[in-house]
Amino acid sequence: MFNSLPNLQVSWEVISVSQRVSTTYGESPILAVVYALAAIVAIILFMSLTAMTLVYTERKVAAHFQCRLGPMRVGWHGILQSIADTLKLLLKEDIVPDQADKAMHLFAPVLCVLAALLALIAIPFSPYLAVSDMNIGVLFISAVSGLGVLGILLGGWSSNNKWSLLGAMRAGAQIISYELSATLSILVVVMFSGSMKFSEIVQSQDQGWWIWRAPVVGLVAFLIFLVASTAEINRTPFDLAEGESELTAGFHTEYSGMRFAFFFLAEYLNLFIVSSMGATLFLGGWMPLHIGNLTFFNQVMDLIPPGLWFALKVSGFIFLSMWFRWTFPRLRVDQLMKLEWKVLLPIGFINLLLAAILTLSGFYFFPGNS
Amino acid sequence: MNDTSAQPTRRIPITGYFARIFTGFVSLLKGLKITFHYLSHPSTVVTQQYPENRATLKMAERLRAQLTMIHDDNGYHKCTACHICEQACPNASIHVAERAKPALSKTELDTFIWRLDSCTFCNLCVMVCPFQVLQMKSTFESSVYDQRLLIYNLSRYAGPTSTVLAKQADDEARKNAVEPRSVYDGPTALNGFFLAGIPKELLVTLDRKGEV
Repeated sequence: MFNSLPNLQVSWEVISVSQRVSTTYGESPILAVVYALAAIVAIILFMSLTAMTLVYTERKVAAHFQCRLGPMRVGWHGILQSIADTLKLLLKEDIVPDQADKAMHLFAPVLCVLAALLALIAIPFSPYLAVSDMNIGVLFISAVSGLGVLGILLGGWSSNNKWSLLGAMRAGAQIISYELSATLSILVVVMFSGSMKFSEIVQSQDQGWWIWRAPVVGLVAFLIFLVASTAEINRTPFDLAEGESELTAGFHTEYSGMRFAFFFLAEYLNLFIVSSMGATLFLGGWMPLHIGNLTFFNQVMDLIPPGLWFALKVSGFIFLSMWFRWTFPRLRVDQLMKLEWKVLLPIGFINLLLAAILTLSGFYFFPGNS
Repeated sequence: MNDTSAQPTRRIPITGYFARIFTGFVSLLKGLKITFHYLSHPSTVVTQQYPENRATLKMAERLRAQLTMIHDDNGYHKCTACHICEQACPNASIHVAERAKPALSKTELDTFIWRLDSCTFCNLCVMVCPFQVLQMKSTFESSVYDQRLLIYNLSRYAGPTSTVLAKQADDEARKNAVEPRSVYDGPTALNGFFLAGIPKELLVTLDRKGEV
């Protein structure tokens, strides 16, 4: 019955802000500049607002996981707590250790935020809302988010503190190791969708998400990505870089006030970036939930705007990450390395091989339409 | 003595490799289930919003926050001033002062002094008391602006000795003979004052001036 309905499925036209700027530049350069400035302001606003919201959410979720209430004093259910904390961090004294490498000490947190900001420009929020939609989007994010580890290493080194240095070294070893697995799992999706451009990856999931459309392989890749990305952003089962029980605060032991706030900001931005990567690659990004040719179902799903789909998926991913953080205990360094090199990497390679075979043979759901 | 270096390295068969991944995965899911139960059931929250819910605040029975002496309805206590609690106290927070009980040529309790400022709430005094006179209570709001106010007198009444009380006609007359006295003072009777030496009216005027 539903199949007799006319095919009204929306075909999404993707326009990124950078494209808008370049097309309008010929007609009116001022408008183009306004577009560009608006994008910059929007990204900066988005950055600080996301970090503040995520910190609040994390504290609330963590509290309820631990039978607590979390912030309750500032505003209704502590909703203004993050604003108060931000003000406090802004007004705090800027303390630099006596023997620290002053310039590097300042540069390290900036580099961390810079890496996160650069990655943010490639995230496709909705078909009309992405700063840039480059043809190597996936590679760009993988490369740029790897830059963050340099900030952590610099921070640990320049603090001239043994805990900081140990934390930084751990972070370095960890991120470099887990980057491999994360990339291997991303490659599976790149192979299936045949593109590294985010808009094309999203549009290839028009018939369904890669997590289930690629039989088993997609799910395995997703799980590997989940573990590896959690490790990459130093979140709790893998937060050896901080390791407060053995390293006080790891790489940011000597940081306080504004500089610490920058590390904090970068941490939560990275959480957002990794979650939106996962949502875009495996859960269809802004693409509404479509199942094959079920026209009626797909049309109902199209009623929800793509931006909201993206937000929902990313929130789900972030919640999962928080759930992990407040459930699992921290790994030892040797367990961490064992997990990567003896479990994730071999499975990732085999998975990639299987994915290649499946892609070539077209043995996945709805192969003709992608 | 364990010589760990002599142990051969254990080789895990390939089925064991996958089995371990699987069991690890399952155990992680179990953990996730437990924490999600806490998240989805707000009734599991144990935090109390203390100053706001002061009226309905429920403290655990076992909380040891204040030493008290059990008095019955008539104001009697069973303390015999045997000093066992005083001897048991590891940091000399208890001082038992007795007075003569001339009729029987014995002594009875005059003042039971307990210093909250040096007490560690170890509960030893409560445990050693042969007559179960002492009790730890959970009333925890004991902060004061003057350290001297942390020295409590636990025996609540001043006035006639028990022999005199025994000669009273009935419980009602005994109650009237017993004067309540401040927890802070020694043998001073309250004499109708709110705090020792301070009539209630004075306290009210001080309060109006914002000095109390």
